[in-house]
Amino acid sequence: MKRKALALATAVLCSQANVVNALEVGVILDAYHKSENTALGGRSEGFGSSHSELSLSQDVAGFATAQLALIGEWNEQDRDLQLEEAYLQSSALPEGLNITAGRFLADIGYLNATHSHSDNFSERPLLYRAFLGGHYFDDGVGVSWLASTDRYWRLSAGAFTGDKLGEEDSESGIGTWTLSTEFGDDIGNNASWQMGASYLRNNTQSSDHHEDEDDHEEHDHAGHSHGAEYQGKNLYLADLVWKWAPQGNNRQQQVKLAAEYAYVDNVYGAEVGHFDGWYLSGVYQFNENWSTGIRRGRVNLAEEHEHAGEHEWESSRLTETSVMLSWQPTHTQRLRLEYKQQDADHMEGADNAITLHYQIGFGAHAAHGF
Amino acid sequence: MLRTASKLLALSLLALVNTAQAFTIFTCEPEWAALSKELAPGAKVFSATHVYQDPHYIEARPSLISKIAKADLVICSGAGLEAGWLPALQKRAANRKVVNGADGMLYLSQFVATIEKHKTKFFSTEHVHPEGNPHFHLDPNRVSKLARVISQRLQTLDSGSRLIYQQALAEWQKNWQQSQQRWQQQAATLKGLPVVVQHTSFSYLINWTGMEAIADLEPEPGVPPTMAHAQSLIDDARQDPPAAILTNWYQNDRAARWMSDKTDVKHLNLPATVDLKGDINNLQRLFDHLLSQLQEIQ
Repeated sequence: MKRKALALATAVLCSQANVVNALEVGVILDAYHKSENTALGGRSEGFGSSHSELSLSQDVAGFATAQLALIGEWNEQDRDLQLEEAYLQSSALPEGLNITAGRFLADIGYLNATHSHSDNFSERPLLYRAFLGGHYFDDGVGVSWLASTDRYWRLSAGAFTGDKLGEEDSESGIGTWTLSTEFGDDIGNNASWQMGASYLRNNTQSSDHHEDEDDHEEHDHAGHSHGAEYQGKNLYLADLVWKWAPQGNNRQQQVKLAAEYAYVDNVYGAEVGHFDGWYLSGVYQFNENWSTGIRRGRVNLAEEHEHAGEHEWESSRLTETSVMLSWQPTHTQRLRLEYKQQDADHMEGADNAITLHYQIGFGAHAAHGF
Repeated sequence: MLRTASKLLALSLLALVNTAQAFTIFTCEPEWAALSKELAPGAKVFSATHVYQDPHYIEARPSLISKIAKADLVICSGAGLEAGWLPALQKRAANRKVVNGADGMLYLSQFVATIEKHKTKFFSTEHVHPEGNPHFHLDPNRVSKLARVISQRLQTLDSGSRLIYQQALAEWQKNWQQSQQRWQQQAATLKGLPVVVQHTSFSYLINWTGMEAIADLEPEPGVPPTMAHAQSLIDDARQDPPAAILTNWYQNDRAARWMSDKTDVKHLNLPATVDLKGDINNLQRLFDHLLSQLQEIQ
């Protein structure tokens, strides 16, 4: 009897050992030099580090994963440390359901839920910087569902406090909520695609709220800002990604094309009907170590100007083209040279800049999505 | 007529039910798909990768997510080989049958000893795995052991078909033992042959045959060959020529071809695994092919 109990205990312990994975620790260090400040945030001029990351991941008793990410930024004007992720995600729910709770990246658009260290350019596309503060993470709850169809189809929804979207805390309890869906499949042996549509409802400000003029002036377009600078009640996003590699062997060669479009209406704090923006990007990895890419994007916004003593809203436009060459000497390191050109209509701060960007990773490195 | 029609209807309904209930296996590498097809004759088997793909670098594509979402059993080599993409698939698919720790998630590296274990330091930039070399499907003895592991797991998860799995395993083992005797004879002639490799893809086969890997075209594990490094190997090879340079189908073999041109050492580009759509579509045929190709280098 005793022996049986002992055997049972050993069996239980062994199966436990199978379930419990060790804590995974990963570090990503980022260092750059940028020649000029450019419009709409991103990296600032001079030497700095943007988005260096310490991440911790742990399996929790076989039913969930705990994830934590601490992000550090340093540059010549500013230094900042913030918690970008601290969440629990279920791993044992039936019927393709998944629940996430805590602080996490909102599941909208193509890039928003991806970590910026896997980006192909040194700064997020214009529309992310204008409408989502680079990338939008917040405290909340998310649920996603994968349909049991042959073709990949996923739905997800989230509700957040909204405190992290703008510079100020939300005026309502559930400041933002999101809905999104995505489809995807392969085309033959060499190519695959994914398309998605998402919606972000922003209740953090009331519609009649008119932004304080001084407050608006405080926004330093060149400097570092976490919040989304251009907001409205509704944000609609559409994305399309296509990847190609001979025989699907992306170790040697790969082409990635991505396009996203964003539309914001019921704009807060500006006397215009809507904002919108888009980008198109193409990246060609031509061997194991080298890749090159080009991205072009635009945002249509509005700026306030003083004209004959009166404040007037005028539509503005910023167009940005980035060209990059990236060298990956080993799996964990990347050196990227990027030239960015900005053209602005009725908007200040636009400039051209050269960025040299180095990134190195240590420890556990989370798998990347599509 | 009516009777035939109703019979047909019943048959097609049965077929429908059968396909709906077919045990579904998702494998990370094609070798385990080939083995699963033999060990689970009625199962639906899908391989996430094929012989022309480097299994270290796979996109977590939408199509793979919807495949793994429907799997009853996932079979992977493990030992860190799929660390760059499998967790992303598991996370998105939210299939509780195949999360880590579940019976439906089988990492084969947990059942065999691996070679070439490296001590890793946290602040090291080398791309090596402390878990050892994951390409162990190229050792007939380890494969034999893993066939039992896979069959046992099938019997646990799908106990209704236990007998079928037992029969399939017995059949497979009989064939494998016969083949293994033949391979041993072929391997005996290869003992001691020095070869240059690119990455550690063939290490288990080299060990099993008693060949000797005297140099690696990769300057560091996981780092693609450089001209400078290849040149130093060429200089060494002129002093002390190896019997062959081995690369595999998913690799860029430019450095190997260059070295072969400069030194007249034979270059063999071999499949690192089974080609499910070609002739070498199971592990028996793979060993037959590899050993007969290697005979040519003596």
